[in-house]
Amino acid sequence: MISEKSLTILTESAKFDVSCPSSGSARKNAGGIGNGFAAGCCHSFTPDGRCVSLLKILMSNDCLFDCKYCMNRSSADLPRASATPDEICELVIDFYKRNYIEGLFLSSAVHISPNYTMEQLYLTVKKLRTEYNFHGYIHVKGIPRADEEIVRKTALYADRMSYNIELPSEQSLKLLAPQKSKESLLLPMKKLALEKQIFKEEKRKGHFLPAGQTTQMIVGASPEADGQILRLSQSLYRANGLKRVYYSSYVPVVHDSLLPDLPGGALREHRLYQADWLLRFYGFDVEELVPAGENLSTEFDPKCAWALRNMNLFPIEVNRAPLEVLLRVPGIGARSAYKITEARKSALLTFEHLKKMRVVLKRARHFITANGKFYGTENPNAVRGLLAAGETQNFAVQMNLFTELQPAPHFQLYSNAETARSALTGEL
Amino acid sequence: MIYLYDGTKEGFLTAFVTSFQDKNALLASSRIQLQIGAKPLIVETDFCVAKRAEERLTSFDRDCMHDLDRLLRSGDCDRDQTVLRYFRFLAEKKRSVWNMLSESAVIAAYECIQRVNIEIHRMKGFVRFTESASGALYAPISTDHEIFDLILPHFRARMPRFPFVIHDVKRKKAAVYDGQHTFIAPLDNAEILLSENELQWQSRWKKYFQSVNIPERERLKQQRGYLPIRYRKLMPEFQ
Repeated sequence: MISEKSLTILTESAKFDVSCPSSGSARKNAGGIGNGFAAGCCHSFTPDGRCVSLLKILMSNDCLFDCKYCMNRSSADLPRASATPDEICELVIDFYKRNYIEGLFLSSAVHISPNYTMEQLYLTVKKLRTEYNFHGYIHVKGIPRADEEIVRKTALYADRMSYNIELPSEQSLKLLAPQKSKESLLLPMKKLALEKQIFKEEKRKGHFLPAGQTTQMIVGASPEADGQILRLSQSLYRANGLKRVYYSSYVPVVHDSLLPDLPGGALREHRLYQADWLLRFYGFDVEELVPAGENLSTEFDPKCAWALRNMNLFPIEVNRAPLEVLLRVPGIGARSAYKITEARKSALLTFEHLKKMRVVLKRARHFITANGKFYGTENPNAVRGLLAAGETQNFAVQMNLFTELQPAPHFQLYSNAETARSALTGEL
Repeated sequence: MIYLYDGTKEGFLTAFVTSFQDKNALLASSRIQLQIGAKPLIVETDFCVAKRAEERLTSFDRDCMHDLDRLLRSGDCDRDQTVLRYFRFLAEKKRSVWNMLSESAVIAAYECIQRVNIEIHRMKGFVRFTESASGALYAPISTDHEIFDLILPHFRARMPRFPFVIHDVKRKKAAVYDGQHTFIAPLDNAEILLSENELQWQSRWKKYFQSVNIPERERLKQQRGYLPIRYRKLMPEFQ
């Protein structure tokens, strides 16, 4: 049984990996323990609001690389630990049996060498599948610069693999993660996508990454704009067939002159996810959402911002508009659009109906007519004002006679002007 | 008139037929507290009537008995009225009505079924098994809706070699899988002799749960939305 101390160290070191879902694989139980659950399953939620679906753990946090943003970088003063394949397998089986987890998310710091580390991951996954007879979900992290043959063999046992891009441009990688390069991350992703295609075409037996690949980018540690980040995401979705791109707003765990001292902020991350959903599920193209060098609006959600720029296309009639047009109305999501398309087969929908059906009309009413009636505001500027996200000041408190005035929080930029510039331009 | 039925599918169908001509019918199952002085009509379940009603309703909508099953599992206090209105609407239209999502009767039933389905999905994740000395697994649950037997097949498929019990402590019933057969049994209290390592695994799980959290990004409201507090009392990571 793994010791509590190692478990804590190896989990603490893995927690900044965002990806946790167990969806996309319907692997069957072949006489052992576990199966895949295509819809995914959340087993718990931590106080940071994230779901616990997989056992997220590193094999080792003793890293060869010195990526500036990473808490496990070689120059950090941090307790180090490693786990053996058997310890990991045992932990997975016993957690799974008690329904604590849906599967394993196995990652590792680059320990001894990239090949050694990948080999360890491979051995663990193979052991779990063959000796422990586990058929639940397994997500394995790819190690950059590891031998492609080991990676390919690992893919035969895993449900999903991922290489973290971490920083959305070559310059930032050079600056903050000097041992990684764009090629060392993108090339293996492409290789795996190709292998999967061949595997499918030849109808080979077994599995090859049934849940595909994902990646993760840190937002706010380097100066790339949302437009650039989303262009990269779109190309990954379209060209490499990635299932998901995760955005992780930067949390300053280490202080370095090349890194911002302030966290990236939850709103920016949220907006990126909203835009990402629009790209994948709502038929938007990144060109419609944001220009390359700009950030998404913080005031409006990306769909609303798009609609406000294209007021000439609205209002649309809910009783006649096709699904793909309904999905472009701010406030109408997949579920509401489905309800509308079903309900209008048997009745002419009015605003009262929409309200009863719980279609959110706060934003939508400015962009739709229901049975010819319009309940919104026609002047685009007025709509803009009505829909701007209310700025809430969460440091505001009710005062009484004895309250001492707290200074309002002041906003800080990069640590000093010179390093800030080099972080922005990527020039050292 | 208040029609009191026993909460079963056949009971409902009998009450449905009995109350059909009564425009002001109120349906209630035995779980519900009646007003003082109320003189309800107690509906005796008639299996022949129920069977005929089932056949007729199924001829309008093939899946309506599945919907009925889900609706009768709901723990909502206005459930009986929701079911009655939905099936009256179905009988009135004489064809499938589930997609008439702008009708109040359908909306209420749709939302009621959604709530039951969501809880089924949630419980697949939130159930926590404890290992007993004999190796059998035991999970107490306390749910809003009666779903303990519906989640059993999910666990049977993934752990066919482990016998287990899912115990609905609220309704005092249990779904049991003995390694080969599944059955439902009344169960009041269960005393479990824990296996040797059980507490150590629980404590590791708690440690894991604490360390995977990012304290700098606390979002308790979001956590509450996804994992309501009422479910937490039977989950070791919150104890």
